Amino acid sequence: MSPNQPLLDVRDLVVRYGRVTAVDHVSFTLDAGETLALNGPSGCGKSSTVTAVLQLRRPDAGEVRFEGRELTRLTERELRPVRPRMQPVFQDPYGSLSPRLRIRDAVAEPLRVQGRWNAAGPARVAELLDRVGLDPAYGDRFPYELSGGQCQRAGIARALASEPRLLVLDEPVSALDPSVRAGVLNLLADLQDEMALAYLFICHDRAVVRHFADRSIELRDGRATEVTPAGRPRSPGAAPR
Amino acid sequence: MKATVRRWAGPAGLTRLVCLAAVVTAVGLLPRLSGRDPALTVLRGRSAEQEATPEALAAVRAELGLDAGPLSLLGNWALGLLRGDLGTSWVSGTDVLPSVISGLQVSLGLMAAAFGVAVLLAGALVAPVLVRGRGSAGAFAAMLAAVPEFLLATVALLVCGVWLGLLPTSGWQGPQYMVLPAVALGVPAGGLLGRLVADALPAVLNERWVELWRGAGVSGARVSAAALRRVLPPLLPQFGMAAVGLTGGAVAVETVFAVPGIGRTALGAAKSQDLPLLQGSVLALLALGLVTGVLAALVRRRLLGPALRDAALTLPPARPVRPHPAVPVALAAVLLTAVGWGLLRDPYAVDTTARLRTPSWAYPLGTDGLGRDVLARLGHGAASTIGTAAAVCVAGLVLALALGFLPSVASGASDIANALPPVIAGILVAAVVGPGTGGAALAVALLSWPALAAHAAALVQEVRASTFLIAARAVGASPWWILTRHVLPSVAGPVTRHAILRLPGIALALASLGFLGLGAQPPTPEWGLLLDESRAYVERAPWAALAPAVALALLAGLAVSTAAYAEGRAGRRAAGARAVKKEASVGV
Repeated sequence: MSPNQPLLDVRDLVVRYGRVTAVDHVSFTLDAGETLALNGPSGCGKSSTVTAVLQLRRPDAGEVRFEGRELTRLTERELRPVRPRMQPVFQDPYGSLSPRLRIRDAVAEPLRVQGRWNAAGPARVAELLDRVGLDPAYGDRFPYELSGGQCQRAGIARALASEPRLLVLDEPVSALDPSVRAGVLNLLADLQDEMALAYLFICHDRAVVRHFADRSIELRDGRATEVTPAGRPRSPGAAPR
Repeated sequence: MKATVRRWAGPAGLTRLVCLAAVVTAVGLLPRLSGRDPALTVLRGRSAEQEATPEALAAVRAELGLDAGPLSLLGNWALGLLRGDLGTSWVSGTDVLPSVISGLQVSLGLMAAAFGVAVLLAGALVAPVLVRGRGSAGAFAAMLAAVPEFLLATVALLVCGVWLGLLPTSGWQGPQYMVLPAVALGVPAGGLLGRLVADALPAVLNERWVELWRGAGVSGARVSAAALRRVLPPLLPQFGMAAVGLTGGAVAVETVFAVPGIGRTALGAAKSQDLPLLQGSVLALLALGLVTGVLAALVRRRLLGPALRDAALTLPPARPVRPHPAVPVALAAVLLTAVGWGLLRDPYAVDTTARLRTPSWAYPLGTDGLGRDVLARLGHGAASTIGTAAAVCVAGLVLALALGFLPSVASGASDIANALPPVIAGILVAAVVGPGTGGAALAVALLSWPALAAHAAALVQEVRASTFLIAARAVGASPWWILTRHVLPSVAGPVTRHAILRLPGIALALASLGFLGLGAQPPTPEWGLLLDESRAYVERAPWAALAPAVALALLAGLAVSTAAYAEGRAGRRAAGARAVKKEASVGV
């Protein structure tokens, strides 16, 4: 990847469900360490866009270039080594963790899947939990024994275990209580500064978008209607309203 | 509405049609499927003296059309069916149709009376809930619903007919002959109806409109009527299934009370290998089940009216009533003690000097007509009945887990399985492979896997739609990893628990087949068979009948209380999970 190439380059992305076109020729780019917000009314194609970017549902047309590689033509098997480098964080903190796995095992799963589990594994899991602000003792618990905010932190730890370059945040705080949101958003901001993560951030809340995103795209009926460059300078630590 | 259309036109509807066609084809091909040569049966049935020479047998085969290929056999049978010709009986040589019609008339009369009994009983079970407005008659009604008809029929025969001498116990000559069979057939159905309504009512009576109506001064009777009307439509499909169950129960009850109905005709035909008569009567029983199912659906449409279009009238979730764990534990302890004690004794030792002994220290439960130890036979019978039931459960579980990934197959097959009582499946299987433990197990297994498969399919769908599965894909997990680490573990646990819960019910179904002579054969000690054998000398040695009857009743109680206990636990866990979810949005 050449230095001036964007981390993620999406061109003319199209997603159709039967006769309905959910995403209609959407294009954007995203650099390392940058945050791009996707917003718009419900049903405008935000979630369809990100599932197509993550190749969890293959787009019907268009290109998704990640780290210089065109993903849409890769087979499922060829995609598997690429997937860890772009991780989703979901809206529902409980649904995104298997109810049958302890937090420790949920965070360790990416390491096991990717063949990186070894003697240092448990320490790595504890470190990840600590990094997202969870006492590693919580590793013994099941998701339903944690609060929503704690679960969301565990979900972020799990995503970080794959050592991603890009996090796709699908309304990561909208299911949380306002008092908890600030904490999770601040955590995300710190992680970004520390690891130069790129964020593709779906969000309803304009205040959060203004505070958090470098740029934002407004989606309406599957079309990107507006791209606003560089929002306000970010002040980490300040809680959004 | 759209969903209903899809249900019937989609793959599930297709499997449903395929299953129905398969059952009818199997009935049509019975003469061909039957492993044994029916020519000999026919020859014996006609004249005992005639020598069974190869020529005589060949002549019989040609006369019956058995030498034709399966397709022409099926074609001829189907054509005859369309003309209203069910063929001639191999045994009596008379037309089948008149016997089927007369049997059907008797059975319809019996079922109507049984339905009356069921409605009266259900009313009695539901009334206290309506009057008090809370609580449920759950446990008692569930117990009544779980008692198999053949057991109830035997006990009714013993108590009312033999000990009290109040009512005639055999034959069909007047209204008084109808009382005991109708009670035996109607009580389990009434228990089921009463239980369904009584379980659903408390939650309905807690709905806001009830408060509103009461506040507005509407009389209690009108509120009760409205609540009943509110409860009935969602339950009607289950009522239809109960009506189908009546056709299976009719076989046992008609046999016990020697009622010349269609069920007894079918059983007799199966035992004497009179296949045309068997085909006719089984078809009549299937048609009876289908018609009641359609009637239930029509009544539901009528009651729902335009609400059907929204399909929105579901019942509020019933509050689980959890019985004390001591109940199932005590029942299991009593059963296990008796079985364990019996297993140490010899069930086959015949002592003709000690026939029909009353219970004593040497024979704790007495002896039977051949002087065999009843306790020993009970113990060894449990091993064979429950052992077979366990094998059926495991087979059903494996099949369900394999087919759970094809939800449409599972749901279509389970609909047909619900429409086919085990006794009728047992009759069909026995006609093909002959009566025996294997055949009975096959019949019950054929009907028990679809419910498990439907459950597995629902769980697979739920897991496949879950976010954590997408998350697993996103970290690069292979399909094999997802299947073995996420999907199977999520499905196997609950479906295994479900299979274990069905174990007592499967054992009861096997016992009912044994009772009818379609399962284990003498001298095997099998609970249903024990009950059947003891009927011959029930006046002189009632304890020989009482022991297997009590054991079966305990098994029924165990089935009900374990299921209720598990349901209560699951309900509480679900409620707990919901509470957690609600708190999720509230804070760390």
